[in-house]
Amino acid sequence: MLEVAGIGKDYRVDGGVFTAVDSLSFHVAEGELVCVVGPSGCGKTTLLRMCAGLLAPTRGTARVDGRDVDGPPEGTAVVFQEYGRSLFPWMRVGANVELPLKRLGLTRAERRDRVAEALRLVDLEGKEQVWPWQLSGGMQQRVAIARAVAFRPRLLLMDEPFAAVDAQTRADLEDLIRDLWSRLGITVVFITHDIDESVYLGQRVLVLSSPPTTLRAEIHIDLGPDRDQLDTRSAPAFAKLRAAVWREIQAAKRGAA
Amino acid sequence: MVTLARKTLLALGLPAALFALWWFASAGSTSFYFPPLSAITAEFAETWTPERWRDDVLPSVARLAAGYTASAAAGIALGVLIGRTRWLFHLTEPVLEFARAVPPPVLVPVIMLFAGIGDGMKTAVIVSGCVWPILLNTVAGVRSVEPVQLDTAAAFRLGRNRTLLAVVLPGASPRIVTGMRQALAIGVILMVVSEMFAAQSGLGFAIVQFQRSYAIPAMWSGILLLGCLGAALAALFTVFDRAVLHWHHRQRAEEV
Repeated sequence: MLEVAGIGKDYRVDGGVFTAVDSLSFHVAEGELVCVVGPSGCGKTTLLRMCAGLLAPTRGTARVDGRDVDGPPEGTAVVFQEYGRSLFPWMRVGANVELPLKRLGLTRAERRDRVAEALRLVDLEGKEQVWPWQLSGGMQQRVAIARAVAFRPRLLLMDEPFAAVDAQTRADLEDLIRDLWSRLGITVVFITHDIDESVYLGQRVLVLSSPPTTLRAEIHIDLGPDRDQLDTRSAPAFAKLRAAVWREIQAAKRGAA
Repeated sequence: MVTLARKTLLALGLPAALFALWWFASAGSTSFYFPPLSAITAEFAETWTPERWRDDVLPSVARLAAGYTASAAAGIALGVLIGRTRWLFHLTEPVLEFARAVPPPVLVPVIMLFAGIGDGMKTAVIVSGCVWPILLNTVAGVRSVEPVQLDTAAAFRLGRNRTLLAVVLPGASPRIVTGMRQALAIGVILMVVSEMFAAQSGLGFAIVQFQRSYAIPAMWSGILLLGCLGAALAALFTVFDRAVLHWHHRQRAEEV
């Protein structure tokens, strides 16, 4: 589904070159939910932007469905961290969710149905006529998720989508993502700086190193498909996996091999 | 209801007070150049006959409307182009700042040279002043559209036209409207100025004529009419602003 091969990004800074991402290779299979974690400033967002076709890599390639990414790939949706700024304040919630559907050749009724269904899935049923700024932060992010869901992407890329919401909302949104993922059978790449979140959500966690970033470790999360904020998080297996990811990140921060 | 009455009272209070002040202060005036306001208002009805409206006021307003519309169309179109094209922005920025700094009235004789002395010249003068605030504000507005919103549009592959119409223009619209508001004030000034050179009709032309024929109360009545026209246009613009930017005003009012 998503194949990243030797991808890297250099930035020019003050006449020098800063290698944000050195060389990263990994593969995400169809229908997988993969989390990417790493120390802060390790180029997670850079990686996601390259996969989303929003940023050209300096070297290497990302491939979606076997096609090189040289612009935003078809059938891909992105949810950004800055939910308040990714929604369009001049459109009501319904219009925000509907906008990407307008080029898909759907009838007005089909679009309306998709919008209603997507809003229902994120527990915002009937909020079409509300303005985005009238909603709380968590609800705004759910609108952004509904916009992605209504689009029916095959690949959903999420860039620290819950970093700016409070803890309780965050737990709800995590369960929402697990639920949508298992229901819709889409492929999800979820970027986060939160170790617990990555273990709770993912089937697999990719740990990145500090810049120049490479893939430091790959940890399989064998917690099964049914996860629960209370039981899963207090299970010994969860603690073990969490510790494993944590150790890798600590080592990454120290720059140890 | 109470607040609406209060607002109306506040809005009309100062003009009414100033009018009354003018009225009483000038009541006993024997000065030729500053006649009593009562004389001016009496002259008003006599001067601004339906024929004068047809021959002077309407042509002025029509030229203003034409010049202003052309400025808005050109300013927004070019502004979007420049704001979206990085090299074009860096190429044109210094020139635009220079062009904006040139006071438009000095261009009148120049524009007369190639546009003659007809309606075309007067409209061109209005455009020469109105286009800059709209253009520069559009450029700034387009450049300040949220990068995340542009990324969202790109990620969903909205395409160039839909991105422009659904994201870039609405995102830039608060700045564009600001530019259009500035341009309106400049347009009224240039409408009058352009009619002071080689004109046969228009509000500015009529006022200059009154002045030259020492019809001082009529001249003052023309100035009063201009003021009212300006105020009416500003009120009309506020209606336009509320319609286009209702989301913007509501967001600012409701967001905590």
